[in-house]
Amino acid sequence: MSESFSTSAGPSGRGRLSAAARADLAGLKARHPEAFRLSPRNRAMVILVPLAIIAVAFGAMVALDFSLIRILNGLSRLGRFAVLMMPPAPEGRFFVFLGALGETLGIAFLGTLTAALLAFPVAFLAARNVIPNIFVHFGTRRAFDVIRSVDTLIWALMWINVVGLGPFAGVLAMACSDFGSFGKLFSEAIEATDGKASEGIAASGGSRVHQVRFGLVPGVLPVIASQVLYYFETNTRSATIIGIVGAGGVGIYLTELIRVLELKQVAFLILMILVTVAIIDFISTRLRLAIIGNKKIV
Amino acid sequence: MLVLDDVSRRFNNKAAVSGVSLSIAGGSFVGVIGRSGAGKSTLLRMINRLVDPTSGSIRFDDVDVTRLDGRALRDWRARCAMIFQQFNLVGRLDVLTNVLMGRLNKVPTARSLLRLWSEEDRAIALSALEQFDIAGLAAQRADSLSGGQQQRVAIARALVQEPDAILADEPIASLDPRNTKVVMDALLRINRHYGITVICNLHSLDLARTYCDRLIGMSAGSVVFDGAPEMLTEDVARDLYGLEAGEALEAAPAREPRSAAVGPYAVAV
Repeated sequence: MSESFSTSAGPSGRGRLSAAARADLAGLKARHPEAFRLSPRNRAMVILVPLAIIAVAFGAMVALDFSLIRILNGLSRLGRFAVLMMPPAPEGRFFVFLGALGETLGIAFLGTLTAALLAFPVAFLAARNVIPNIFVHFGTRRAFDVIRSVDTLIWALMWINVVGLGPFAGVLAMACSDFGSFGKLFSEAIEATDGKASEGIAASGGSRVHQVRFGLVPGVLPVIASQVLYYFETNTRSATIIGIVGAGGVGIYLTELIRVLELKQVAFLILMILVTVAIIDFISTRLRLAIIGNKKIV
Repeated sequence: MLVLDDVSRRFNNKAAVSGVSLSIAGGSFVGVIGRSGAGKSTLLRMINRLVDPTSGSIRFDDVDVTRLDGRALRDWRARCAMIFQQFNLVGRLDVLTNVLMGRLNKVPTARSLLRLWSEEDRAIALSALEQFDIAGLAAQRADSLSGGQQQRVAIARALVQEPDAILADEPIASLDPRNTKVVMDALLRINRHYGITVICNLHSLDLARTYCDRLIGMSAGSVVFDGAPEMLTEDVARDLYGLEAGEALEAAPAREPRSAAVGPYAVAV
């Protein structure tokens, strides 16, 4: 870098770099051969990976009985469905629907809240930077995985057998499956904090508990709050589903009305759900942005 | 010749830059100094059109920069390269590809999206890297490099644009003293060797005096000083920086040796 600076350059300096590079092409290729060709391994990857994906996708389509003809044949039925839905009408059951929708919202709210409250303390046990003991944090983590791998719908079927049909089973189901998801998300958020704040607390003579309380919690709380709100948004949508197995909410009406082909009411109910979800999304997005200070959180 | 005529930019009714008029001759090395929030970054970003001026006009030779859009705007951006404090490289891409980003404007889109770079473009990128002694890192991922190396990659990316001007927005603010010198020398070399105009935001008055032909002092969005580095007296500097100027001009705080902070503007070299 210490060569002398020539001061001769004028506007003609533009293009000088490419001219020099062209003149020295042979030299550059000799000095950096690897920059001018794809390595055989990379070349193979570029061709083989997409081919493998296409092959697996094709195989899966054959195995799962994909058929364009069946879609085309069914298309007319889909059209008839759409016609029967027009115009959407509550046909006198608006308040029944409204009550059920309120129940769905209640399930989503209580389920998310319970899951978050239970998962918050346990998540610290699963964080490597809080509990260095591998048996504890690894064990907690696998426990979260097991709970999470069972879908909300399955949890609902189980809880219905324990506490009977109705929204209470729905809340328990939602709390269970989200407990697993929250545990994983929270502990990852805790691990993603950098240790500088905790180090500062430790250096001032703080205990482990102090380090967690003042070094970690203020950093992760906004992230966790934002994740909980996001889950409340999605749970409002998925709470409509668990009603189908009898765990409360609008789901039961949806299944029944589709079965008896009351499609105008189905259309109306779907519109009601749409509006509710949009309102929840709007409020929750605002809250989340306010909490995290307009910064994007992964 | 870059001419700014009464350029202003407001953010939510707060003026970041107000009524700046300047003309900058081709081939000069201009330092823009002033405290944080004085509008230095906004000024630079308006020249590259990353930020649009609220009023006023920017012209380069016979191009009205403020009126460009689409293809013409991208062409203009390729002609005035930008260098950032945080380097703004693509961390997950290798160094060579990062440098080749500087050729995007000259390569057909289909080719560049498929990363089918011509031999000539590769040669240009490597030649630029060689000038900063980092051609050996071409295959490494950008985020595996040190800050000084990353900034040199960013300068190489700017250089392969073969621009008329390079806008450097506090290029050395995240670097240690040794890398500061390496990076500033690289900018000076580009300026002298290729005749590329360099406009550089700086915090350190020492560096500004060492490297620049001309200094522009900004305060609260306006130009309050414009002249040769020798004209920047201590009084002027105090106006620019407030009380910290005395400390900023000295190598070490003499009167209060126990106060560790020299203020954010002093970079020891």
